[in-house]
Amino acid sequence: MKTYLIDDDNLAIFLAEHLIRVEKFSTAVHSFQSAQEALAALLVPGEELPQVIFLDLNMPAMNGWQFLDALVPHQATLRGHCHIYILTSSLALRDLEKSTRYELVTGLIHKPLDRTELRAIKAQLAPVEDNN
Amino acid sequence: MQLPDTHLPNTLFERSATAAFVLDQSGSFQRVTDGMAQLLGYPPAQLPGTRLLAYLSPETEALGTQHLAQAVAGTIVRYQASLAPPAGPLSLELHLLPQLDAAGQVVAIQGLAQPLAAAKALLERERQLTVLFDNIADVTFVLDVEAEGRYRFLFTNKAFEKTTGLPGSAVVGRYVEEIIPEPSLSLILPKYAQAVRSLQRVVWQETTVYPTGQVTGEVSVMAVCDASGRCCQLVGVVHDLTKEKQVEEALRLSNERFRYAIQATSDAIYDWNVATNDVYWGEGFTSLFGYQMPHNPVPFQKWADGVHPADNERVVGGLLQVARVGAVSAWQEEYRFRRADGSWANVLDRGYLLRNTQGKVVRMLGAMQDVTERQQAAERQHLLMQRLALQNADLQQFTHIISHNLRAPLANARGCANLLPLLDYAAPAFGETLQHLRASLWQLDEVLTDVNQVLSIRDAQDGYRPEPVAVAAVCRQALLGLQAPLRASGGQVTSTIPEALHLPGSRAHFHSIFHNLLSNAIKYRSDERALHVDVAAAQDATGHTQLTFRDNGLGFDQPQGPDDIFQLYQRLHPSKAGRGIGLFLVKAHVEAMGGHISVRSRVQEGTEFTITFRSAGNENVFD
Repeated sequence: MKTYLIDDDNLAIFLAEHLIRVEKFSTAVHSFQSAQEALAALLVPGEELPQVIFLDLNMPAMNGWQFLDALVPHQATLRGHCHIYILTSSLALRDLEKSTRYELVTGLIHKPLDRTELRAIKAQLAPVEDNN
Repeated sequence: MQLPDTHLPNTLFERSATAAFVLDQSGSFQRVTDGMAQLLGYPPAQLPGTRLLAYLSPETEALGTQHLAQAVAGTIVRYQASLAPPAGPLSLELHLLPQLDAAGQVVAIQGLAQPLAAAKALLERERQLTVLFDNIADVTFVLDVEAEGRYRFLFTNKAFEKTTGLPGSAVVGRYVEEIIPEPSLSLILPKYAQAVRSLQRVVWQETTVYPTGQVTGEVSVMAVCDASGRCCQLVGVVHDLTKEKQVEEALRLSNERFRYAIQATSDAIYDWNVATNDVYWGEGFTSLFGYQMPHNPVPFQKWADGVHPADNERVVGGLLQVARVGAVSAWQEEYRFRRADGSWANVLDRGYLLRNTQGKVVRMLGAMQDVTERQQAAERQHLLMQRLALQNADLQQFTHIISHNLRAPLANARGCANLLPLLDYAAPAFGETLQHLRASLWQLDEVLTDVNQVLSIRDAQDGYRPEPVAVAAVCRQALLGLQAPLRASGGQVTSTIPEALHLPGSRAHFHSIFHNLLSNAIKYRSDERALHVDVAAAQDATGHTQLTFRDNGLGFDQPQGPDDIFQLYQRLHPSKAGRGIGLFLVKAHVEAMGGHISVRSRVQEGTEFTITFRSAGNENVFD
């Protein structure tokens, strides 16, 4: 299983990478410090799609929402294959409401990411993996 | 025929205008006067020899014969008869006086004829006078002066009854003290006495309560004298002034009310007479605008000249237009009006146009209200509201940003703490995580320090008093502090700020502004060209001072609006180190000194910051 981490905060990426490794959540973790880089990698034709994307919201240049907006035209391709989890330190309710408007967003997690959260996601994805 | 001796001088008798005659014993005229002939309607010469009774109406002939016989018998007779045409019908009173000779024999009858019409006319005259008196609106009465202080009513007219409620029948024949109550009685008796004594007309005013209501009247009494010159009657007339008095009183009250209303209002009241083109100015023109008015009314032009030149056409022209062709009765304008001392008052002027039946304006009455203070207060309030709203929005954003920036390192610290127990103590990741934990906590502390710094700028504003700051010197000092990084960058900063320029503000604030803007310029320089920063100052036409900082650095896009860059922790260059507080502080310092900052930038071309300070006297409206 392939996972993308998109966060401008080095430490956040460090923490997520190690937790994923400890929990054996994913075999391949790709980390991006800018949303533009992640977008470019995601849209490379023929590349295997990540099943899970952890997306930070508050980033310079292109923030999480702008990244999601940029994905809207590719929704058909991504739907069912790519599950986006917003991973933010913000506690604003407004962000939660806004996230429900994006079809590709499966859930919103408040930082820090923890083991319980990772296991729940894995359990959710398991049937999908079986079908494959 | 021989004329008997009648002892009357001939011609003198005949020429008399009195209707007299002499009859013989048969009742025929012996002599007639011209007056008698005229009465009968015949020439005097035709009458002697004709019978008196022939000229009287036939109905009275029997009576006439009888009376004549009595006269012939020696009795004085007096009776009424009626003349036949052509002179008649005319009632006469006939006196027949037997004329005796020495022997006591009746030799002739002397007669007098008196037309009764005179008596009738007298009656008619009296009737007409009564009608006249009764139709006079003034109370009229006649008093008989019996003795000193004894006055008896002889006559009262209808107006007397109408006013007093007493009919003539109840009054005539009674003494005044029986009719007129106190205290009027005590007032009038001396007046009557005065009229009686002086024989002059006496006039006075009195207010009396009658059954029909209170009457205020002008009373006059006149003395009427008898043949001996003694006052025998008093004629009194009471001219009712009640209505006039009421109108006068109402007018007085209304004037008084108007005067107090004018005093109570602080408005300048005016009355424009269109025909004379004069304006009567109320006291407000002195109290509000300081104009002394030795001459009032003043010419219309004086008001027109006081209207501000920029408002003149709209206000004066507009009013004249409305007065000339309009049909409205209300006019209202706001304009500037020159006070006597030359300053300008903001005025709200409301007028009422009085039009004649043709719709032409004849007068305008109105009030000018000085709304200068009110307008200034409203402006101040508006500014205050704007500032408060802005400050509130700032605070909200500040809180939002702070909460996020506190939350981010806190979440990381928690993440580290969660991860540590899962890692092998000996693995390199353990030490790294521990270091991250320490860094996160340090970052948390830094945010709190930032918060403290930002809040201290706001706190300092309470006791903030601007002082003139030599801007060029502060710029030099800030540059001195950045000498090392500037030299390392190989860049160059040129300041053309005049040495003499002093801006009101805080030296520390200006230092922070220069330091942050210049260090940003160094930090975000382009590697493709040598850094150039130009710092300049300029004053525009309105007296505002502008400081500009122009560099040829990286520049940036302004996708979310130009002001985003000033937000706390807003970072445009993730590849460069920085916390994103510098520009936030710059903006806070600029605004604390009443200035405004804006930015223009293009990627790979450079960035220009412009700081604008309002001219002295305009800044800090709340002082």
